[in-house]
Amino acid sequence: MIAHHPRGDMLLAYAAGNVSAAVALILATHLTLCPRCRASLSRAEAIGGALLENLRPTPVSAGVFDRLDHQLKRAGLAVETDSHQSVRNEATPAPLRFYLNGTLDQVRWISIAPGLAYRPVIADRSGARLVRSGPGRGIATHTHRGEEFSLVLAGGYTDSSGHYLPGDFQAADRSLTHRPIADDDADCVILTVTDASLSFSNPIAGLIAKLIGC
Amino acid sequence: MDTSTANASIVAIATHGDRSAFENLFRQFAPRLKTYFLRCGVSQSVADDLAQEAMLILWRKAALFDPCKASAATWIFTIARNLFIDAIRHDRRPSFDPLDPAFVPDVEPSVESELIRAQSEAQIREIVKSLPAGQREILQLSFFANQSHSLIAKRLDVPIGTVKSRVRLALRRMRGRLKP
Repeated sequence: MIAHHPRGDMLLAYAAGNVSAAVALILATHLTLCPRCRASLSRAEAIGGALLENLRPTPVSAGVFDRLDHQLKRAGLAVETDSHQSVRNEATPAPLRFYLNGTLDQVRWISIAPGLAYRPVIADRSGARLVRSGPGRGIATHTHRGEEFSLVLAGGYTDSSGHYLPGDFQAADRSLTHRPIADDDADCVILTVTDASLSFSNPIAGLIAKLIGC
Repeated sequence: MDTSTANASIVAIATHGDRSAFENLFRQFAPRLKTYFLRCGVSQSVADDLAQEAMLILWRKAALFDPCKASAATWIFTIARNLFIDAIRHDRRPSFDPLDPAFVPDVEPSVESELIRAQSEAQIREIVKSLPAGQREILQLSFFANQSHSLIAKRLDVPIGTVKSRVRLALRRMRGRLKP
């Protein structure tokens, strides 16, 4: 059972489309594993739907419908069907598999210290990477600019705020004493994302999230 | 257009490529999609193009629409959001996939959770609809354009105190109507 979840305002920002790819990746990976947060996301997207429905309409220019009509005629009546094929026997959540171009056990780790390795996943304005720590070792991430998010993928760790197991999500800022130590029974693998832009420090979003129970 | 009509129209496109259902959806949603893209900060002509593209995606992906998972308006909102991220921000938006073998399903019976979802969505829609226009506009700017109190105040040309009090009133009103 997942005990640690992303904050409601993050899910709301994700629903609204206001997060970077790296933040979206860590949330999508958590959402793959967490039915509770998927229900919150549904509510947040419903807010988007209701707000869209109630926007004041702006007349579209006259040619738009004719162009669409033409495109539809060309496309015929053939709407796409769901031709989705999934790969079986896979423990690595799909959003992460896409960026790794493979599974977690195929990752080519870059060793940075005994018992500590990492692998960049996305390098954009946020940046996502995998970190692997040996049993009982400290998980050195880096200095915190803005906020840092972690999601446990394998093993577990403990810091002053609690114990984190696979699927658990943590947001840490500079105010938190965040010195995670890997559990001593196995390697700990986490996905970390730093977000210096603080795109969801949106006070209104935070209030709406609380209100709809995200 | 009410929710069940809009839902049925998308299903009609999926099942038999219903052109008149599409035309009705276009009348209802294209002008609102245009406003959405304008709120996201693009020009009039780009907003026209994006509204057109979003409606084309609606047609193409109609078979993927599941009224048990989201209402028409919510589904169309997610199309517009993803299109904006892809076409204008040139970014990706990873999302979960229910067919992913790593996907952890809900333990609750799906009929029950779908019912709860539908009820809470209907409730959210009622609340948003019932807000005074000025309060709703601020929520729209905050949600769609990710704007802060001060940017919203500038955009609407009202004092920041007015923005704050409208947010407070909107939230109080929503709280009063939202059943636990």
